[in-house]
Amino acid sequence: MTRTDTILSLRDLSRDFGGKLAVKNVTLDIREGELFTIVGPSGSGKSTLIRMLAGLEIPSSGDILLRGKRINDVPANRRPTSMVFQSLALFNHMTVGDNIEFALTVRGEDRQKKRARARELMELVRLPADYYAKSVTRCSGGERQRVALARALASDPDILFFDEPLSAIDYRLRKILEMEMKDLNRETGKTFVYITHSLEEAMVMSDRIAVMRDGEIVQLGEPLSIYNAPASRFVAEFMGQVNLLGVEKDGHGMVLKDLTIPLGAGIAATEGTWLMLRPERLRVLPENGRADVTFDAVCFNSYLLGSRTHLHAKMDDRTFISELDAGMPPPEPGQRIRLGFDWSDAVAIHE
Amino acid sequence: MKREQKAGLVLMSPPVLLLIAGFLLPLAFVAYTSLMPPRTFGFTSNITLENYVTAVRESYWRPMAWSVFFALATTILTMLISWPIAKALVRKSRRFATIVATMIAVPVFIAETVRLFGAHLFLMPRGGILAGTINYFFGIDIGSVLFTPLATLIGLLYIYLPFALFPTVLGLSQVPADQVEAAQDLGASPWQQLRYVEVPIASPGIIIGSLLVFVLVLGATSESHMLGGQSAVPIGFAIEQRFNYAQDWPLGSALATVLCLITALLVFPLLSRLDLDRLFGR
Repeated sequence: MTRTDTILSLRDLSRDFGGKLAVKNVTLDIREGELFTIVGPSGSGKSTLIRMLAGLEIPSSGDILLRGKRINDVPANRRPTSMVFQSLALFNHMTVGDNIEFALTVRGEDRQKKRARARELMELVRLPADYYAKSVTRCSGGERQRVALARALASDPDILFFDEPLSAIDYRLRKILEMEMKDLNRETGKTFVYITHSLEEAMVMSDRIAVMRDGEIVQLGEPLSIYNAPASRFVAEFMGQVNLLGVEKDGHGMVLKDLTIPLGAGIAATEGTWLMLRPERLRVLPENGRADVTFDAVCFNSYLLGSRTHLHAKMDDRTFISELDAGMPPPEPGQRIRLGFDWSDAVAIHE
Repeated sequence: MKREQKAGLVLMSPPVLLLIAGFLLPLAFVAYTSLMPPRTFGFTSNITLENYVTAVRESYWRPMAWSVFFALATTILTMLISWPIAKALVRKSRRFATIVATMIAVPVFIAETVRLFGAHLFLMPRGGILAGTINYFFGIDIGSVLFTPLATLIGLLYIYLPFALFPTVLGLSQVPADQVEAAQDLGASPWQQLRYVEVPIASPGIIIGSLLVFVLVLGATSESHMLGGQSAVPIGFAIEQRFNYAQDWPLGSALATVLCLITALLVFPLLSRLDLDRLFGR
């Protein structure tokens, strides 16, 4: 089994909710052992998609193939997959141990075996052993998360699905759990299919990412390739904090819309193309600084983001986001500054 | 005594006094009367267990057994019937739930005697609604269901279904849909989802419903009066007869006391397991 083998294939998968298509003709191959993330805003159909994969929702058309075998009609309880729910859906009337052992209980495993497996899993997800007899209602948010994870792993599933399980966790703990999720994927060697509305979260842990919008996959690729080359304006904006510059045609050729600067050589653009500039690529230029394109703007405000500082600058009513070089003192609000970028840092987005 | 404690006592005293005067005192009278010599009226100091001996010797266990049987059968059957209806009421649309709930609740507002008379007409032989319809369409004579223990049971199911249904709805509404899905996802068959998730979480409602039906049926008499005839005499009817027709209050009281004890023995262990806070979502 290598990491390039396909474990789960989606073929033209659709789900129709009374005339409204929540998922439209999704075709996708998920590889053995990878951490695959489907990311999209709420209402993009990502939850419906994962529920179909888990067997909790019936596809309207298309096929789901698990290692080449069609599993459309296999109910959730007969699929070798487990899901970690957004709400976690822990059994509140049971102890931590009973929750984790549930999949083994319904299989009729004996007590000794169940207990041994629970202990092993609790260690894997870093839950203290004395939590075994504790009621899940008395666990903290992070602990409940770990119980849900252990419970999903108990049956030794081929694929684990995650439906935004970290969305209710506070920021600091979320950052830790995101990394643990990636570690767990490596340790167990299982295929993880993860859903989130946060591209940032997806970037941290994924091997590959599919971006979803209105029931369709609009981009599929490795995190860095999506980061560096978003396929559309939607994907670019979904990642947050970017500058998008419109391109238009005037008498001489293609120019940047608001700046009326002719496009540099080597940038293939037609009318309707957008140029994406990341904040770190749009620099505040010192007195004698040089760049391919420079223009004047007024500093609106600056924001300290830990080790970095972001600056919002205005030119007419256009706002630009720039990241200051380390150690550079931020300009005062209202101060005139010179911004600049190089053509090689601009990414053309044709949508 | 603290202020709040005082306030609590003041607020609690009217219902407590009412319970003492209206419930505990009569119960004590009944218990004491059961220890009087046969056919005495009023209290004397001659305490005897003779009535209890008579109750056993003259095979009063028979109506007692019928009552317990009817109570158990009605409880189990109404629960089985309630479960799918309750599930539909909880999971389906609000509109559907309102219609079905109304259809089940409205008959409760009609006098029991009237409803049982309706059931009587329904079960009557030959010209009755059930027998007549079957005869008309299939030409089969099903004979008489009326004046059999089955008729009593049908009447009991009809009258006591709402008492089982509504607590079950309340209990089932506490079952989160995602936990049932999680159970399914973890490999539980529909039967296992029921056993490990739905029933345990809905149990306060199930216990309340079962207790209501069980206790009410244990004392019920009208159904066998109007539908069962003499085929199966329930204990409530036997007690009534001791008081009215036979004019033997002590024996009637002895039977009533035994009935109370049986009820208490079955009800209290269940009640102690009931978590009312959970039912009310606290």
